[in-house]
Amino acid sequence: MLRWLLVRLAWLVVTLLGITFVTFVVVDLAPGDRAEMTVVSSGSERAFLDQEAREAAILQLRVRHGMVDPETFAPYPVWQRYGRWLGNAVMLRFAGPGEDHAALWQRLAKALPVTAWLGGLALLIVFGCGIPLGAWLGLRAGSRVDRTVSTVLLVGMGIPEFLLASLLLLAFSVAWLQVLPVAGLRTPGSEQWNFAWQLVDFAKHLVLPVGVLAFAPMVMVSRFVRDSVARAATSPFVASMHALGVPPEVVRARLLRHGCAPVATLVGSLLPMLVGGSIVVESLFALDGVGHLAVRAALAQEQPMLMAILVVGSLVTLAALVVSDLLHRVVDARVRLPR
Amino acid sequence: MSEGPVALRRRLWRRLPTWLAALALLVGLFAPLAANEVPLVARVDGKWSFPAFADLVGKPDGGPHDLAWKQWWARMPATSPDFVLMPPWPYGPDETDIQRSRQAPSVAHPFGCDDTGRDVLARLVHGMGTVVWLGLPAVVLAGLFGTLLGAWAGWRGGVADLVLARLIEIFVCFPSLLFLLFACTFFGESSVGFVVVLAALLWTSFARIVRGEMLSLRERDFVHVARGLGVSEWRIVTRHLLPQVKSQIGVTAAFCMASACVAESTLSFLGFGTGGTGSSWGTMLRQGADLAVVGAWHLWFFPAVALVAVVVCCHLFADRLRQRAAV
Repeated sequence: MLRWLLVRLAWLVVTLLGITFVTFVVVDLAPGDRAEMTVVSSGSERAFLDQEAREAAILQLRVRHGMVDPETFAPYPVWQRYGRWLGNAVMLRFAGPGEDHAALWQRLAKALPVTAWLGGLALLIVFGCGIPLGAWLGLRAGSRVDRTVSTVLLVGMGIPEFLLASLLLLAFSVAWLQVLPVAGLRTPGSEQWNFAWQLVDFAKHLVLPVGVLAFAPMVMVSRFVRDSVARAATSPFVASMHALGVPPEVVRARLLRHGCAPVATLVGSLLPMLVGGSIVVESLFALDGVGHLAVRAALAQEQPMLMAILVVGSLVTLAALVVSDLLHRVVDARVRLPR
Repeated sequence: MSEGPVALRRRLWRRLPTWLAALALLVGLFAPLAANEVPLVARVDGKWSFPAFADLVGKPDGGPHDLAWKQWWARMPATSPDFVLMPPWPYGPDETDIQRSRQAPSVAHPFGCDDTGRDVLARLVHGMGTVVWLGLPAVVLAGLFGTLLGAWAGWRGGVADLVLARLIEIFVCFPSLLFLLFACTFFGESSVGFVVVLAALLWTSFARIVRGEMLSLRERDFVHVARGLGVSEWRIVTRHLLPQVKSQIGVTAAFCMASACVAESTLSFLGFGTGGTGSSWGTMLRQGADLAVVGAWHLWFFPAVALVAVVVCCHLFADRLRQRAAV
């Protein structure tokens, strides 16, 4: 087990290197780099009417960001810059050369809790509602109730997150029932309220984003559990237990345990879904989380920030993959046996 | 082989998603022929022209005598030998008419009109075109690449397989939406860039499926027999093994098409151009969500229903394909 874990962790490092390298190259391939973006968006277009002055400003920024050789102004090759970035990243210094690492971390640290709250609560709902619903349906596989609810779930799987968000916003916040807030995490001026009211306010702001974020993965989990439980119900051990006269409650408990175990393998694919979903949800509900930060960094072609977010994001995802493999080995003895 | 009405109805009902998906695909592929303000066939002063077909490959010329086609047709005396044959839905996606601004659904415009008086149904049809023309090439590209790579790695095993497995893991961890978003910002107008990036994100699902099947299939007896008979490796893989994973590739393609659809509309909803020219469901939904508040519900409702219907049809089609393969 320990040896397996060590090998797995070693591969994790290799995968992480692969992810960062691919992203680094792709961000690099983008026409128009960060220096150009900064100059264009700085608003001082008038100062750069002169093409030469503009070029000079861009070049200066490129030297500052360490993109070109300060002596000859020849651009550094990609692998060299990647190597330099890697050297810094190992020491958790994600900002570019000559920039404030603490500032970047501060921006990230301000955004992380928002996304962690969203994702954590969403995960709670996904497993807390998805598994019971799926198990309930699986025990009734083939019945009218199962067919109806399964169809509803199938249609639900077809609703994209942004559509659900815009529907819920229309329904609860803007048009019909104006009961829930539209955006942000707290009402402006709520700092003076007492703690309980602040908590209620926070919860009210979280209902819609968390609901939207949790919906698609929850549907996925419950469909998965339903199929798995239904399959387990037809397996020989259930029939033999019934034949031996084991009480139905006990059979059902065994059946559920057998059917729900494979959920452990789903954890790995749930997190990328949540990461993608948080981008949409945070943009639509104007929450200052990591997803929103990533969108802004992508628009500004801010390579250091993008890379930092990517490293954090893929670390979490990879960790989840390892944990799900581990869980699977713990829960299901058959996975362990071949070794 | 007589079939009762109930069984027949059930069979037709099961086939409905397949037919709907096929219809959507067809409409999307030939959107300019299905809804357009220019005629399919026209005869002007004894000369024949096919403006809607020209729209399929590029921009058509304006109407005859410096008039829009409809104006010209309205002024035509009934005795004239000239004629036009309009498409099934004779409104274009960009045909504005301020008089029908935000018109609610009516017989003439069953899905209503948006603020500049563009017909919503025509825009929906062309939005389907955007989805199909971006999604289909991406899925085909991803399918070809993923299948070949997966088959090769699964067949060879060893180092090739190990490398592919790692590569797939790398792509699984990628936040694909962020990646697409980034690609949108720098590919801007070009749809080729979007298609390539989408394919780069989708190929792993094909590779994973095909690789897994190959790993189990290559140990079967018939493969050993084929080898013993001196059949070349290429022929074993392409003639004996790949046909067996055909239906799984189909299932994956249907799911990928659905996610391409969702990706395109999500990005355009968030305000990133996906390179498609013309109307997109995401853009329609974004404008519709703003206008639905002031009473123009149809601007949000119909695009939403269309999007969900297409995605659900893709899922149902995939489900059905899988069931048929399993039996």
